[in-house]
Amino acid sequence: MAFVRRFITVIPKLAKHVPITVQSRNIKRWVAPTLMELKRREDKQGGKVTNPRNTFLEWNLEAELYAFGKRLNEEFDSDLLLQAFTDRSYVIKEEMKQKELEIDLKMKDNRELAEEGRKFMQEYIQLYLETVLHKLPAEGIMCIRNHLISEKVLSNVSFHLGTKDIILAAEYPVDNSILAQTFEALVGALLQSCGEERAAHFVRDFVITQLQGQDVNEFWEIEDPWTMLTEMISKTGSELEPRLIGEVAKNTLLACYRVGLYLDKKMMSSGFGETVAIAKEMAAREALKKIFGTEETMHPINFKLNGIPKSRSQSKISAS
Amino acid sequence: MSAAKRVQQWATFARTWHIFDCKWQDPYQSADLIKKYLMGMHKPIYHPMNDCGDVVVCINSRDIALRGDEWKKRAYFHHTGYPGGASWTLAWEVHNKDPTMIIKKAVYRSMKGNLQRRHTMERLLIYPDEEVPEDVLQNVTNQIRQLRLVPTRLDHIPEDEVRKFPKVMDYPKDYVYK
Repeated sequence: MAFVRRFITVIPKLAKHVPITVQSRNIKRWVAPTLMELKRREDKQGGKVTNPRNTFLEWNLEAELYAFGKRLNEEFDSDLLLQAFTDRSYVIKEEMKQKELEIDLKMKDNRELAEEGRKFMQEYIQLYLETVLHKLPAEGIMCIRNHLISEKVLSNVSFHLGTKDIILAAEYPVDNSILAQTFEALVGALLQSCGEERAAHFVRDFVITQLQGQDVNEFWEIEDPWTMLTEMISKTGSELEPRLIGEVAKNTLLACYRVGLYLDKKMMSSGFGETVAIAKEMAAREALKKIFGTEETMHPINFKLNGIPKSRSQSKISAS
Repeated sequence: MSAAKRVQQWATFARTWHIFDCKWQDPYQSADLIKKYLMGMHKPIYHPMNDCGDVVVCINSRDIALRGDEWKKRAYFHHTGYPGGASWTLAWEVHNKDPTMIIKKAVYRSMKGNLQRRHTMERLLIYPDEEVPEDVLQNVTNQIRQLRLVPTRLDHIPEDEVRKFPKVMDYPKDYVYK
């Protein structure tokens, strides 16, 4: 009994150090309900709030613009760069604000710069492609060029250059069209600040390289390859002959035919297809690719041409 | 997917129909060969989960050749599932009952037992003789080389050709054959 009496004072102290919650390695059943509840509360508040980076207190537009140019290793004129990043919607919004406050500060938007940049890009990409894919007819070049200066490609390039937060626009996140237009304006700004060659190399490095790993034939939809091929061949006076050179499982759903095209009794190309007609059409497509120098085994497109290439001579192959 | 890519895929996964003549062939060795074509193992794109197997048409399965006294000794086991339902049938009995059965069982046994096996077997067509339906024959575009040469039997060679064959000596007229 004396033993118990002696230690009875220690017991409350010991109880203090026993942890209330016990760690266990079980499935955390509280995680999903908690996340769901959080989501419910967030939705009640009116959805997820994205705070644009440029509304933060320590955002320094001037420093960002300077860093933007330095990141790309280009010497932009600072005023032109700011103008290139100013969208029309932002200017309108600011003017409304200024009208309320009754002050008048002139702001320039990027429409003229974008127009200039677009024009320069069109011309330069056209010349570049004509030099690099010198056998491809003008229609094909045009289709590839239109792909390269499409909103989808340009907005993608623009986004990954990090323009999203620097752009001054009324809305956030900015629309793809604004991203693309800003990129065009950037090219225009570079054209005015550093001259044609720097701008050309900028376009080459960021836009034309988007062709890397792509099949250039996919951009040009040839409606009737057989007619096109026969018309081109008939000019040379050679004889073109399609031959069925392979067929597999012809009575089944999985029938596959192979048609070879023979030019003066020498095999030119071959194509596969579910029917003989499709195989013949594919063979004609392959032949056209061979003529245009864009076959599967072509050398990779040269992305290292310096300067602005000269316009190629009038003796161009025309598809029509 | 562009048109060029589509037909490339179509051609890559095209199912070729092969024909194999079982005449005088060992069914168990042939099965290992046929299996490769059925499963598509002869293709560079082969993968167990890749549906790239071809179709094989076996003809003359009545004329297969078993080694030694295998016709008499090899037994095929079957169990009905009921007590006392086990039965052992000799190879020659099975072959008399169904001349396609031995080659079919050989190919089936040569493949690993998985869910795919029965579907792969559907692509094996066996005919006891040379009579193959016309629509099947039209699909065939390749022949699998036989493992062994089919020997020519002496009694199948025309008699005058045998007589003309150079000999070292002739038996005397009054020679009595044993």
